[in-house]
Amino acid sequence: MTHLSLAEINGYLRQLGEGALITLELFLTSFALAFVMGVFIALATLSRGRIVTAAWRIYASIFMGVPSLLVIFLVYYGGSAMLIGLFGAWGRSIDVSPFGAGVAALSIVYAAYIAELVRGAIDNLPKGQFEAARALALPRGVLWGKVILPQAMRLALPGLVNVWSFMLKETPLVSLAGLQDLVASAKIAAGATKEPFIFFIATALLFIAFSGLTLKLAMRLEKRLDRGQNRDEAPASEVAA
Amino acid sequence: MTGLPIDLTLARDSLPALLVGLRTTVFVVALSLLFGLALAFPICFARMSKLRFPALMAETFVVFFRGAPVLILLYLVYYGFGQIDALRNGPLWILFGSAWGCAIVALSLNHAAYMTEILRGSLLAVPRGIVEASEALGVSQRNIFLHVKMPLAIRYGLKAYQNEVVSFIKGTAVVSVVTITDLAAVANGIFEETYDPFTPILCAAALYWAFVNLVRIGFDLWGRWLDRHKMDRERAPVPVLQNVPTRGRLLRQIGRVRGRVL
Repeated sequence: MTHLSLAEINGYLRQLGEGALITLELFLTSFALAFVMGVFIALATLSRGRIVTAAWRIYASIFMGVPSLLVIFLVYYGGSAMLIGLFGAWGRSIDVSPFGAGVAALSIVYAAYIAELVRGAIDNLPKGQFEAARALALPRGVLWGKVILPQAMRLALPGLVNVWSFMLKETPLVSLAGLQDLVASAKIAAGATKEPFIFFIATALLFIAFSGLTLKLAMRLEKRLDRGQNRDEAPASEVAA
Repeated sequence: MTGLPIDLTLARDSLPALLVGLRTTVFVVALSLLFGLALAFPICFARMSKLRFPALMAETFVVFFRGAPVLILLYLVYYGFGQIDALRNGPLWILFGSAWGCAIVALSLNHAAYMTEILRGSLLAVPRGIVEASEALGVSQRNIFLHVKMPLAIRYGLKAYQNEVVSFIKGTAVVSVVTITDLAAVANGIFEETYDPFTPILCAAALYWAFVNLVRIGFDLWGRWLDRHKMDRERAPVPVLQNVPTRGRLLRQIGRVRGRVL
């Protein structure tokens, strides 16, 4: 089956490795941005201003109802026009690369999902947490940073893990805007060697391995965040055992 | 550039082409949802089987086709499966020889993997007691599955099914990589002809949005229809009491008490 020499395989492997690094970079950057944006959007829209809530509803509805691929295309094709529109002549100097467009598009889309999760988590916290923090006259920064958000994150974590693995599976879409990522390298290698089966299976397995590995880590994180929760149950389970 | 990023005449002119693209997208979605769901049942039974081998096979299937991005699955089926000689010379080549066949196969396998997990979760959520009661009444296994487990599982899994269908529809926007001119491909083509970066893509996005939300409304109605028995009790006492003109306050008070008790 293989008519490739070892040197050739080595070369393609290096190319795939470089592509994988770009995919990883794109994914982690977009996720971090989406997370920060999502938390800020959640905090901004929790105040019950009617205009803010309406704006949030429209934003969430649009980006949850439209394929990410179209958002990527829109940002990539229309990005420079939008930048010129926003910043005038100064925006002309900014070049929209596929990577930048991918990061922008993915983080805008997934910020909506993350904001929804964080909003739900904050809503599910007992109201006493807010009241107690206010009764202690904690400053707003401490109230959100030390009391509410850490607890909300524990509740939002399973959903965040979902977003994580879902977003990972959408990062290859940026290759359609011309990014030389893992999937694009695999496609080139597959075309050049006439061995598409091996290269695409290997790429798929890389994605699966990465998401499997990170899900394991997420489960440990979940356990760690839950360690304060079942303090009362621990002796009971010992009795049962 | 004028204030509005959308060129209205271009939007109107490209609408027929976009609608043809939308029809293609709807076809792709409908076929893959159908085949994916049909595949999910046997795979789910294998996954839940007590025999080690089928369970392991089904689990491998789920891990692979759920974990791999749709784009790679499309490439794999379209470019990769042609390498397998048995496939190329066999009767299945009618399926794998065409872009449509490949796209439907790849998307159905992906959807089936997700549906297997949703189905399994919903079936596991059915309380054991109900199944045991049915067995005690002598209901056959087949009827227990059809008339006891499935109706409940559908209710438990409906929300997850809705989410999967919605994200699946959005995921089908990539089928243009195997030369199928779906809605996204048509929009992309218009962009390449006109170099208008906003109009075609925004129009296509609006059509996707409408499609997705129609599906969502359909699911909501289905869910409400499935839950119709729950609303009777809450709905019944209210209209009777509101139509009483005299002695209204007393009756309303009685009604309120009764409504609370019921």
